[in-house]
Amino acid sequence: MAEYLQVGRPAPRVEGPAKVTGQTVYADDIQLSHMLHAKVLRSPLAHARIKRIDTSRAQALEGVEAVVTAADLPPVAREDESPGAMPSNRAEILLAADEVVFAGQPVAAVLASDPSVAEEALDLIEVEYEELPAVLDPLEAMKEDAPPARGPVSDIDRSETQAHAAVDVEEERAQTASNVASQMRLTRGDVEQGFAEADVVVERTWRTPMVHQAYIEPHISLADYHPATGTLTVWTGTQGQFFVRDELSKLFRIPETKVRVVGTELGGGFGGKVLLTQPLAAALAIVAKRPVKLVMSRSEDLTAGNPAPSCVVQLKTGMKRDGALTALQGRIIYESGAFPGSPIVIGALLLGGYYRFPHLDIQALDVMTNKVPQGAYRAPGVPQVTFAIENHMDMMARELGLDPLEVRLQNAVQEGDPMANERPYPRIGFKQCLEAIGENDIWRSRGKVREAQGKRRGVGLAAGGWLSGRQPASAIVKLNEDGTFGVVTGSNDITGTNTTFAQIAAEELRQPLETVSILTADTATAPFAGITGGSKAVYTVGRAVKAAAEDARGQLLAIAAQLLEVSPDDLELACGQVQVKGTPDWSVPLKGIARASTDFGGRYPPVVGRGTISAHKHHPGFSVQVAEVEVDPETGKVTVLRWATAQDVGFAINPLSIAGQMEGATAQGLGMGLFEEMLFDDQGRLLNPSLLDCHIPTAADVPPIETIILEVPSEEGPYGARGVGEPPVVAGSAVIANAIYDALGARVSEVPITPERILRALGKVRE
Amino acid sequence: MSSVTIRLRVNGRSYEVQTEPQRTLLEVVREDLRLTGAKEGCGTGECGACSMIVNGRLITSCLMLAPEADGADIITIEGLAQDGRLHPLQQAFIDHGAVQCGFCIPAMILAGKALLDANPHPTEAEIRRAIAGTLCRCTGYAKIVEAIAAVTEAP
Repeated sequence: MAEYLQVGRPAPRVEGPAKVTGQTVYADDIQLSHMLHAKVLRSPLAHARIKRIDTSRAQALEGVEAVVTAADLPPVAREDESPGAMPSNRAEILLAADEVVFAGQPVAAVLASDPSVAEEALDLIEVEYEELPAVLDPLEAMKEDAPPARGPVSDIDRSETQAHAAVDVEEERAQTASNVASQMRLTRGDVEQGFAEADVVVERTWRTPMVHQAYIEPHISLADYHPATGTLTVWTGTQGQFFVRDELSKLFRIPETKVRVVGTELGGGFGGKVLLTQPLAAALAIVAKRPVKLVMSRSEDLTAGNPAPSCVVQLKTGMKRDGALTALQGRIIYESGAFPGSPIVIGALLLGGYYRFPHLDIQALDVMTNKVPQGAYRAPGVPQVTFAIENHMDMMARELGLDPLEVRLQNAVQEGDPMANERPYPRIGFKQCLEAIGENDIWRSRGKVREAQGKRRGVGLAAGGWLSGRQPASAIVKLNEDGTFGVVTGSNDITGTNTTFAQIAAEELRQPLETVSILTADTATAPFAGITGGSKAVYTVGRAVKAAAEDARGQLLAIAAQLLEVSPDDLELACGQVQVKGTPDWSVPLKGIARASTDFGGRYPPVVGRGTISAHKHHPGFSVQVAEVEVDPETGKVTVLRWATAQDVGFAINPLSIAGQMEGATAQGLGMGLFEEMLFDDQGRLLNPSLLDCHIPTAADVPPIETIILEVPSEEGPYGARGVGEPPVVAGSAVIANAIYDALGARVSEVPITPERILRALGKVRE
Repeated sequence: MSSVTIRLRVNGRSYEVQTEPQRTLLEVVREDLRLTGAKEGCGTGECGACSMIVNGRLITSCLMLAPEADGADIITIEGLAQDGRLHPLQQAFIDHGAVQCGFCIPAMILAGKALLDANPHPTEAEIRRAIAGTLCRCTGYAKIVEAIAAVTEAP
């Protein structure tokens, strides 16, 4: 194995000092001169026709600059201009013109220098609605006689979904007006034959609610438009500034030469912060001809963000007495809310993708309701289906008296096995994760303590995976005048990718980490990078940085070869210099090369390394987790005592940040399992638009988490790295369910697994 | 509404601010003093991202009206590093990888400071309770707890 200097070692965040001193600039920290604040009036109704909007009283309020409705906005280009089709792309409806399709949809905006004045003016806008029948339950919405959530939709734009996970499966779009926007089916063999061969068949329906990403920084955008030059500049917390630029350019028909998006430091995203407030902020700036700041309040963000879809999985699986799986038949129903586009393909591929089922039949449906439109949340669609399959694996094993871990090991997919779409898995580390958890103390000591002070204890495990995204990427590595290096990408860092990029550049240049700076430049200055999502930032941009550093190295050696009058092949990089291999004294300092390639009259061209890559291979990541819980059988209260998360990361370029990803994702999975749920009333209004009421975990809810990093190299990632961010969130709710079953002998088929649901499963509470 | 004049002592420096009385301490510190380390994550006292230490107590500054802080001694995250040297908690947060997106981190560090000022040798459970009012979505709290614990162990 190669000897690495920088990668494979824990590196603290390069921007750590700025973040711990409060110096980091997030979008809300920016104030532009002459700036207006925008506040948005949102529909209180889930489905209604707008009869009339009267803004006169709001306009008259002192301090109000403008009250804007759909009629005042610049025209927006639509992907599908066919008459009668409502846009499937939410970004194309900035403010509702005639029909509102979810409670929280923007209807009007107020601009004022003082945000409190803008807020006050919202109450003065009068909107007359004609209420339309709302459909709020996906199963009801699928019925023939269900009222339509909205008019027929245009072609579904999946560009953002594709950026999260590139997978090849055909799906079918509804040809007629229907709440089922699209559906797909994957089949293998004959499931009826498979069930006939099974010794145990388990059939059950599993439910997961809408949950919110709950990043601590709400959505924020600032926009500035100069009519004289036609240039639009947007500062925003986004995971994908180039995606935002592309969308703004298309929507407003402004060439990308005149749209500049500055992705500011991001206060969390988890898939939920790609595109939301930017188009409206830009439109308002175009209307006002002044800079506009648009901040979503927390309740607005929870009400009208883009949370994970709710999901119903109807699942039937069969297993033989010896543990061999026979068949899986599943129907996945994602509730996409008022705009289509839920992750049906990914969900289907992973429901049938963890284990070798000889017979498969999976149907997945994208069903619209009059609720907030869904979006990506860390491994979009996968925790939902994993909750179902990982409960089934436990149930079948238990019915047959088999060990749940052994059964998984026996059936787990490995390299060459077909994915659910029949394409072969590349090299993966699923089995290694299972084996690691099998050796973990939490698993090995299961059953030793069954009861403590009247409370029941149990241990459960579950697996989860993610296929991981691919996208072209690029990076620049340049030699500074003093012999240090600068790395420039267009990749929006959230949780440490820039530190990893700096490590990669330092590794390839054989320099100390502190001599490499890293910058996320804006869309006008940075080379292209895709969305930081789909667990692909390091896999793609990291490879581009590596290629750029290699390119810079080649240029350095070429110049040094001339200065030293030797062949470049005889040279190597060392700390601060290029030297003849193994001869540190026969060298030229990097500073000398920098001077010779930048100074007035310099003889050599500047050293600027360029790295451009396209990604061809999947890099699926798996995580297996085990937890011990304590349950009070009288109250149903669950306390998680300890947790271990094993994950195959390919190669751990920065084990410190990877462990942080694993811990954070584990806590989110725990939250999904025990606490988190967006609750709606019978009018489709969110009942709990606050972080505590949606119950994201606090420090007191989360146990110590042991992380076990495994390295089964990917085929294409830098040093063998593979996607890290998403796999460890997937298994959490199934871990919780299996552990609670182990403690109580009762299985809860709906998350979050609240005390009430536990008591119902125990028969202690009846309808 | 007529404005009021309030006096604040922030990170050892005195300020006199004219403000409308309904504005919060968070708004005044962020917008008027331009100290933007404290963040607004919810505006309703749930996430804790706006935390400051006011007269020795950790408070959510989005829930405190600015006039209530008249005459108060306030510590924000900008006041922790002295002469370019990071506070031990700040250094520990970096060293232990406790910083991801960083949005909650100024508040977390102040929560840690408020705890250690009152209880220099807390147990892990006490650390978890002390920071339970500050939400973090990135870290699962593991490395934050580690970082605070590391400072308590320091001689």
